[in-house]
Amino acid sequence: MKRFALLAVLLFGALLVYGTTDFPDWGDPSSPAATHVSPHYIRHSLEETAVPNIVTAVLADYRGYDTMFETSVIFTAGLACFFLLRVFARKAPDSRLYRHRATGITLRIEQGGRLPEGAREFERIDSQWVPYDLIIRTACRLVLPFIQLFALYVVAHGHHSPGGGFQGGVIFGAAVILYAISHDLRSTLQMLPERRTVLMSAGGVLIYAGTGLICLLLGAQFLDYAALAGILGVDPIMARSHGIFIVEIGVAIAVMAVMVSLYYNLASVGRFDEGL
Amino acid sequence: MLDILVTLLLILGLVFFLGGSIGILRYPDFYSRLHPAGKLDSLGLLLTMSAMALYTVGQWNLGAVLAAVKIMLIVVFVFITSPTATHAIVDAGVRAGMRPWTRSKEGSEHDLAA
Repeated sequence: MKRFALLAVLLFGALLVYGTTDFPDWGDPSSPAATHVSPHYIRHSLEETAVPNIVTAVLADYRGYDTMFETSVIFTAGLACFFLLRVFARKAPDSRLYRHRATGITLRIEQGGRLPEGAREFERIDSQWVPYDLIIRTACRLVLPFIQLFALYVVAHGHHSPGGGFQGGVIFGAAVILYAISHDLRSTLQMLPERRTVLMSAGGVLIYAGTGLICLLLGAQFLDYAALAGILGVDPIMARSHGIFIVEIGVAIAVMAVMVSLYYNLASVGRFDEGL
Repeated sequence: MLDILVTLLLILGLVFFLGGSIGILRYPDFYSRLHPAGKLDSLGLLLTMSAMALYTVGQWNLGAVLAAVKIMLIVVFVFITSPTATHAIVDAGVRAGMRPWTRSKEGSEHDLAA
């Protein structure tokens, strides 16, 4: 059986390699891909969409459907991870650890016991020992604002340079995950609760699809941003540029929220109690 | 004149990168390998990036100066993050109970796990 599987793999691999011989040559100017749409994009994308970056124009405008469903794929991946991992049955841990902030002394409180009222100088720590490291915390706090600023720059500058919603969203999500790693999951969850990440991931896709729907309601085709000219108060060409930007913001929000939600689920094994 | 300086800086930076790579391969254990990985990479990066910044500043206009400033910002951020990362890795190694290498065959006498 194993030998048969190997034979099948080899056979289909050979067929695939044989199939590549029919591909057009690398960079062949007479290949089908280079004769119909590509010259049009290269020559006319700036005058049609007012976006200097052709990749962004193709991605979010000419092939807006494709990108919309890419965003929904990411959203679906987040949902799948949520349904696979999330545990709703709350089981109280056997013991909890608390650390005295000033001295670093750790208290273990068995199940049923509690800290005395008003013991504010204690903070809860994870039972698997979360490193309390001043150097790592300070360095991360120092770097985090710049990472987030850079993420926003990548999103906003997608019209002119490599970047856009996906990349900026990933950088922003990485910033939140860095905060979670350098501090702990509970403080991150206070800052960005699970409910908000799920709502944001759905909301990002909604921004994208909603923009398309508004175009439809205004009498144009789905995702034809030129129809937004009346609402935005600009000419149709600039409206396409602005429409791309709105859509990129939706993508960025969705990607960021899905990344963070995936991290929450994976790091705490779905319990949202203790984690990295 | 500028070209010579840029080339000199680049070669010097590459020497440090090479030393770092050899160190990572040749050093005996986890902790000592982090030493070339953390230190020499930072210095090599400083030198090569300064060379790039100098090269961009060669044609003197606002765009070039901005690009040079961005290149130097890379150095600033790597100088903050790289030692922190090395520190975190060493910390994790100590937490996991890894013992530093010594010359004696049966490992260190000191028990780190305590």
